[in-house]
Amino acid sequence: MISCTEFIPAYSELFKFLEAQGGREAVEAFWEHLSDRFLGNLRSAVEQNGLRGCWMYWSHTLNEEAADFTMELDEEAGQFRIVMHRCPSMARLLQFTHIEPYYDYCRHCDVLYRRVLEPLGYQYTIDLSECRQARCALTISHSPR
Amino acid sequence: MPRETMRRQASDNEYLHPDFHGALSVGIEYLHEKYGEQAVRQYLWQFARTFYAPLTEALNTRGLAALAEHFRTVYALEGGAARFSLSEDELRIEVDACPAVKHMRQQGYPVARLYRATTETVNRAICHETPFAAELVEYDELTGRGIQRFFRRTTEGEFP
Repeated sequence: MISCTEFIPAYSELFKFLEAQGGREAVEAFWEHLSDRFLGNLRSAVEQNGLRGCWMYWSHTLNEEAADFTMELDEEAGQFRIVMHRCPSMARLLQFTHIEPYYDYCRHCDVLYRRVLEPLGYQYTIDLSECRQARCALTISHSPR
Repeated sequence: MPRETMRRQASDNEYLHPDFHGALSVGIEYLHEKYGEQAVRQYLWQFARTFYAPLTEALNTRGLAALAEHFRTVYALEGGAARFSLSEDELRIEVDACPAVKHMRQQGYPVARLYRATTETVNRAICHETPFAAELVEYDELTGRGIQRFFRRTTEGEFP
């Protein structure tokens, strides 16, 4: 059994494998598939609770992933934000000396969540400029009702 | 409603996100559908040869005790009941229910048709180029209950 604590390197190596099969398009296609098949819980949380659904979803995942983060929800302003001080996934990949992270690893977070949230009427922005230092920030917003 | 803030440091929580099993299962099923069974086994083989290289090295230098340590840690962490029987030439692990499969079934995540390869192929890859071989003696697709056996080999095995 591959432990869930070993999933991140398995995921990174899967992206490399897919790229070897069919180029970047093959990796993108998988990310879209994963978003459609695996993020139903985020989709339904946001459909039912609006921006608070983002808070609920990431409260669960980021705590289980032992992330170092600040998360903010301002429903009046219509904004949800995560500042990732140290991403548990990239930090883990950077710790290993015997494996190299997939070069575009962090962009899956852009593709996966954007694909759920934009069709629901939210703006999704993610700053990955420091992702190789395991830092990023994402903002999800919509106009207040 | 005022602004709400949550601040967490890594040390505030234990790193254990079992939903990752479901994401891996989606990846395996995707590979199977899109590229075929051989691609699943090839991916898992390559992953295991790369990621578990230090474990393979430990198996070469310390023998089956190194594998037993690894799997004891994994099953304890994941909350899986497993019985270990270890000698110099053989390690047998009897798992009552695979914690990954159990979690996926509980959460309603689909379990990939080739999910067993995450044990079968990965174990064989870990043992490649060592004096040991691996076999999945029993495996129940519904629960992941099974028996894994690692034993001193008489001939060198190759992928696939």
